[in-house]
Parts: sequence; structure tokens; C-alpha cells
Amino acid sequence: MTIIRNLWRVPSARFALVVLAVIAFLTLVGGALAPHDPLRQYTDHVLEGPSAAHWLGTDYVGRDVLSRLMAGTRLSVIGAFEAVLIGGVLGVPSGLASAWLGPRLEWMTLRISDTLVILPFTVFAIAVAGTLGNGLQQAMFAIGVLISPIFFRVTRAAALGLRRQQYVEAAELMGATEWWTLRRHIWSKVLPNVAVTSAQATGAALLVVASLSFLGLGVSPPAPTWGGMLASDLDYLAQQPWAPVFPGLLMMATVGSLNLLADAVREAAGDPSRRRSPRRVTVRPEQKEAARA
Amino acid sequence: MTRASTTPSPTFAPSRRGFLGLSLAAGLVLGLEACGGTSTLGSGGSSGSGGTGTIKWAWQLPTTWDPVTSSAGSDVQMLALTYDAITALDDQGNATPWLAEKWAYDDSGKVVTFTLHEGLKFSDGSPLDATAVAKSIERGRTQDGSLIAPQMATIKSVRADGDLDVVIELTEVDYQYPLLFAGKTGMVVNPAVFEKDVDSLATQPAGSGPFTLTAYVQNDHATLKKNPNFSAADEIKVENFELYPQPDPSTAVAAARSGQFNLVRLGGAQLQQAKDAGLDVQVISTMFVSVLDVNASMAPFDDPAVVEAMKYAIDREKLKEVAAFGVGDVSYQPFPPGYVGYNPELASIYAYDPDRSRKILKDAGHTSPVKAVFTSSGQSEAAVELIQAQLKEVGIEAKIESIPPTQHTQLVYLEHSKALTYDGFAGRESPVQAFQVLFGAEGLMNPARTTSPELEAQLEKVKKTPTDDPTYPALLQEATKIAVTTFPNTFLTLVPAVIARKGVSGLPTRPSLRRFEGVTA
Repeated sequence: MTIIRNLWRVPSARFALVVLAVIAFLTLVGGALAPHDPLRQYTDHVLEGPSAAHWLGTDYVGRDVLSRLMAGTRLSVIGAFEAVLIGGVLGVPSGLASAWLGPRLEWMTLRISDTLVILPFTVFAIAVAGTLGNGLQQAMFAIGVLISPIFFRVTRAAALGLRRQQYVEAAELMGATEWWTLRRHIWSKVLPNVAVTSAQATGAALLVVASLSFLGLGVSPPAPTWGGMLASDLDYLAQQPWAPVFPGLLMMATVGSLNLLADAVREAAGDPSRRRSPRRVTVRPEQKEAARA
Repeated sequence: MTRASTTPSPTFAPSRRGFLGLSLAAGLVLGLEACGGTSTLGSGGSSGSGGTGTIKWAWQLPTTWDPVTSSAGSDVQMLALTYDAITALDDQGNATPWLAEKWAYDDSGKVVTFTLHEGLKFSDGSPLDATAVAKSIERGRTQDGSLIAPQMATIKSVRADGDLDVVIELTEVDYQYPLLFAGKTGMVVNPAVFEKDVDSLATQPAGSGPFTLTAYVQNDHATLKKNPNFSAADEIKVENFELYPQPDPSTAVAAARSGQFNLVRLGGAQLQQAKDAGLDVQVISTMFVSVLDVNASMAPFDDPAVVEAMKYAIDREKLKEVAAFGVGDVSYQPFPPGYVGYNPELASIYAYDPDRSRKILKDAGHTSPVKAVFTSSGQSEAAVELIQAQLKEVGIEAKIESIPPTQHTQLVYLEHSKALTYDGFAGRESPVQAFQVLFGAEGLMNPARTTSPELEAQLEKVKKTPTDDPTYPALLQEATKIAVTTFPNTFLTLVPAVIARKGVSGLPTRPSLRRFEGVTA
């Protein structure tokens, strides 16, 4: 709660939370609240501009763009979350284990992590989709696997630092089990780092999901996704040059908010000395001179 | 120690707010530029506005430069730049002289003699005579991996008779060879090259066509120059030719406006944009027809009622209007009007009738929605999604499955693993060959490999009838009717070639092949 209270005091975090709340709301009920069936084709009203009936116009087969954006939020966001969840499930335990369970496991997990890091996201996802079939689950699995080294490294770095803390060594000397130490002393300290990483990784995953949808991978048409809408809009730029702006803005707002939130969480939960000061400190010229001297 | 004075820092260090403002301004400028309408350049303002003597054709690159191993029907367009075929086709699809001045069948119909023009040469200057033609045909029908060999299965022997006559002996009567030799099957490859290094043909064509290849980067571009040894070299008005893949639809018009290409293939969605941009737009009728490949051995299309219901459920007028922006026409058969195989009786045979479609399904006992998988390799997203919605209206719920275009041939044509696929048929020089591809026992676009004895018998009659015989059109049209009414392939729309030109004169409007005789740039 303290972290959330701290977050709410930061204007950028407040903005990010509001935007993400709207996105979360759309994810949950966007499809139900959409003014039209997002798959309904009004073929006599193809590629029309904004109107009272269709606030953001219609697409290349006459579907309501606003409804598709609202309904498309769910697949776009859930896809990203799914990838991050897979990345976290693979990366966090292995990061803790790498720091805790001996050099052999450490060596092995580091080599696997190094290997995964060199694989490019989109190309790997295309290869997985080509092997396992073209579907959202396959694409998200691929992205999740590639995200996992980020979680692995963050968790491992935090856990290594904590392991050398005196209170952890004291607990071990007093006979605490590794599992108890991990649960009691390490996990609560690692969690903020994982939260920050999750926020950033969700933004990255969202863009990769959009890229894959743009390339025709992941979600099959006519299901709406932000990336898929962006891709199809590009074929009709002559008729609707503004059309890509709508899914683009939603992506930009979501990814930007996630990044702002990640920054704010880091500041709220991190070292107090690194927190941004609530008020500006005015430095007088003579102080600058003194500092230079 | 302190300094007596300080020099202001020359570095530009904007505040965060200032930086944000600059970023927004830059984004706005770029956005406005991207959304810009007509060009600020006049028609003569571009260096690519004509007179360069170079055609830059953004169309596609061939799968190989060897007509014997080419695996795409549309390759013929590009291969015709460097190879000459023995015959050609006129606007109605009849065979006309090309390398061969004339041809004649003997009375039995089992021997055909092609007589070549005199003085023909390959691009390297070596003579293109009857011996070379005979060797080229022989290679096409016997080489391992030849993809044109099945079309010449009825050839018993080929020999040169003197310098000009090529005598082909057949195992059975077949009057289709003059038509067949107007395409890849009849393209003559220089024997001196394939006898020495046949593999080189994949990247270095050796023919006698209007151009010779000077550079080729696979999947990127090919550059060609005029072939002075081409038989009609005087009619080739450009010195250079560059070939590129078709650009992305969103950039096609801009690419033509900028002079990157001066001949670009467009989709219907870009037609008006190209006109507005001051480009010359030409719509040329082609043999290309969009079609649904239906695998009648896979559910639910193993039920003929579902196939018939599907044919009536598709509103082709709507496909043309929405997906093709009104370009082209609806079609219920594999041939365009005016072609000898076109059957006017089929002009509206499966006209949109959703009520009838529902009744067919109901009568067949389908009271709940019929489930199907509809495969798309991205040829026309709009058409695929429209068809899916139209099928759903009558009770066929087709789930769209996207596959990469590169897997289309493997999954659809070779593995026959897809039940329903959106596809296109580029036509063939011989209508019998077209029937074989679409409805033959080994036909690529006959996924279930089903055959019809009735159609086979009718095609035998067609093959045994000289193409100039008065009964020939009726026999062929009857074959078309049998095929369309018995096979599950569902023909949708005729797809013309929409071409934007900048500084290039009009192209000949031959439906089967783009040719460049008389074209200036």
C-alpha cells in the first residue's frame, strides 16, 4: 500500500495508472461495450470517415473501427500479459535458483540465458509459429521464452546482492533453511524488481504482439487486434490516411504508460536516496562557482 | 583556486519540456509529409519522367530463369523477356506464329511439323534452328525434375528436318500442341548452354527473347538490356529493362511518382490514388481468375451439398465491389468472356442466392452450422473476410487460418492438407492444360485429385479436334460446363492487371502475356 501511495504522489505515475486503468477496463468489457459488433460488415459503408453512426469510421469491409479497437484491446493486452507471464515463470525461479543452488546450475542457466538473448524476437516467433502452427498461444510462448532472460538476469542480480547481506548470512548460520530464507528475506526484496521488469516487458511484448499481428502471425482474422488493424490500414492509406493513427495511439499510450509506471515503481520501491525529490532545489550562481572550485 | 570568469557553454541543452515540444513538432512535420496528397512535382519535375530508355517494371521476379524448372505459372511473364516461344496467343486464345512461321498436322493427327522463320538467332548470336528447337523440346520432356514434362507426355519423338522444320510425332491425336507451345513449354532454350551447364540456367537465361539478363539478385532485382539478335529487335524501343518485385500496396503509387519504378502493378485500392497522382493507369484484361480451391476429400466439403451451398452463398458482385474496388468482373468459370473456352451458358450459374444455399443445407440435413477451416495465404484479406461472413450467413462457419505465402504451394498443392483455400488461377496457354491443372488427376489446383470420366471423355474429344475446326469451340465449352458443374472449385472474379505508368507508353493489351514491342520509356 505504501508503494501505491508513493506512486499516486508522482504525477507521471498517476497519469500512467489512469491510462492503464482505462486499458484494463477495455480489456475486460471493451467488446461488450462496443457500439457495434466488431465483426459485422456494413459493406455499403466501406472505408467511410468518422460519422455519428461510426465515430472512428469504417474499415475495408465496412466494420466499425471504434468497436474493433475496443474489442481488439483484449487480445492485444492478454497476448502481451501471457508472454510476460511465461517469461516470469521461466525467468524468476531460474534466476533465484541460479544465485542459490550452486555453481553447476548457475553455469547451465547462464548459458541458456545467453543463448536466448541472442535470438531476435520476431524472427524466433515466426520460426515457432512455422513449426508449431500459426496461433496466438504459439506466438506468445515464443515471446515468453525470449523475455525470460530479462527476468532471469534481474532476479539473479538482486538475489546475488541480497545473499551477501549480513542478515541473510546470519539467518543461515542460525539454521534457517534455504527455502525459508528465500521466502522470508529474498522474495520480498526481489519482488519490486520483478514488478518493474514486468511493466517494461509488458510494453515490449505488446509491441512484439502488434508486430506479429502486423505480419499476419498470432491472431487470425477477422479477430481484431491493434497490430492487425494497423497492418490492414496501411493497405488503404490512400482512402484513409488517418486510420493507422487510432491503433497507433492506443499502443503508444499503453506502452508509454507502462514505461512511466515502471520508472515510478522503481523510484517508489527503490533506494530512498535515488528517489526524485518532491521539490526543486534552486542552486545559486555562487554555489555553482563554489562547486566548480 | 578560482577562475576569474566563466565562458557560457556552447552546448544546446533543452529542458525536458522543450525536448518534448521539439519531438512533437518533428513528428507533426513528418506526419503531415506522410499524409500529403498530390505531388508537388509537376509531370516534368522528375528525373524519371520519360526518355530514359529504361523500363523499371515492379511486378515480380521468376522462381527461376529456366522455363523447364519454373514452378509458378505467372513466371511466364518474366521468362518471356528473355525467351521466345514457338508460338504465341492472340486475344481470343488462338495460336499464332512466333518463332514458328507455320505448323501443320498430318492426316492422322499424330505428327505435327513446325516450320521456323529463317535467320533466327539466340541472344549469344548462335543460330536458332530446327535442331536447337528439337533439342530444347527433348530436354523439356526428358530432364529429371522437369515441370513441363507432364504436358508433353504424348510426344513420342522430336526431330529436326532440315534447318527449319521440327517434326513431332505423338502417341495419340492431340491438336493442342500449337497452343501449348505458346507458353513455358514452348520456350526455346539454347542447347549449347544446357548441354554444358544446365544449372546455370536458374540464374542466367539463354534464350532469344527481346532482352538479355545482365545482372540478377535473387528476390531483389534483375537488370536486362536489349537483345540485338531478337527477331523483332526493331520493335523494342528501350535499351534497358529493370525488373523488381511488386512493392507494398501502401508505397506502390509513391514509388511510381518518385521515379523509383516507371511501371508498377497496383491493386484496385490504389487505382484512383494513382490517377490522382497524375500517373497513367491502364487496366488490362488477363486470364487470371480468383478461385476457391476445395478439397472434396476433406470435411465438410466431402458432402456435395455443402459445396453446392457454398457456390450459391458467395456474393461475387460484392467481392468485386468491396475487395477489388469495382475492378474486374464476376466469374463462374475459369475462362474470361471472349476466350474460346468461355461458355455463355454459365454466365450466372451460381448467382448469389443465400436462400437457396440455406435450403440446400437444410435438405441435406445440416440443421446446425457447418464447421470448416478457410485457409488464406494473404492474397486478398478483404475477399477472404467477405467470403467468411457470407458463408456464415447461410450456416457455414469457416475459421480463417493464415499461412505464409511461401508455404502455400507445399500445403495446398503438394500435401493437399487444406480443405478450402483462397487462390488464383493465372490461366494456361492450352485450355486442355488449364483443365488438367484445375481438374486433372494430377492437377495442382485439384486438391482432392478427384476425376470425372465425363470430363476426361470430353477433353479427349477436344484434343482430337483441330483448333480451327468449327466444332472445336462448342466441344471446349461443353467441357467447361462439365467441369464447373461437377467439380468443387468455386470461381469468383476475373482479376485484370492494373498498371500505373510514368513516362512509359501504353502496353499491348494481350490478355495472356505482357509484351513490350513498341513500348517507349
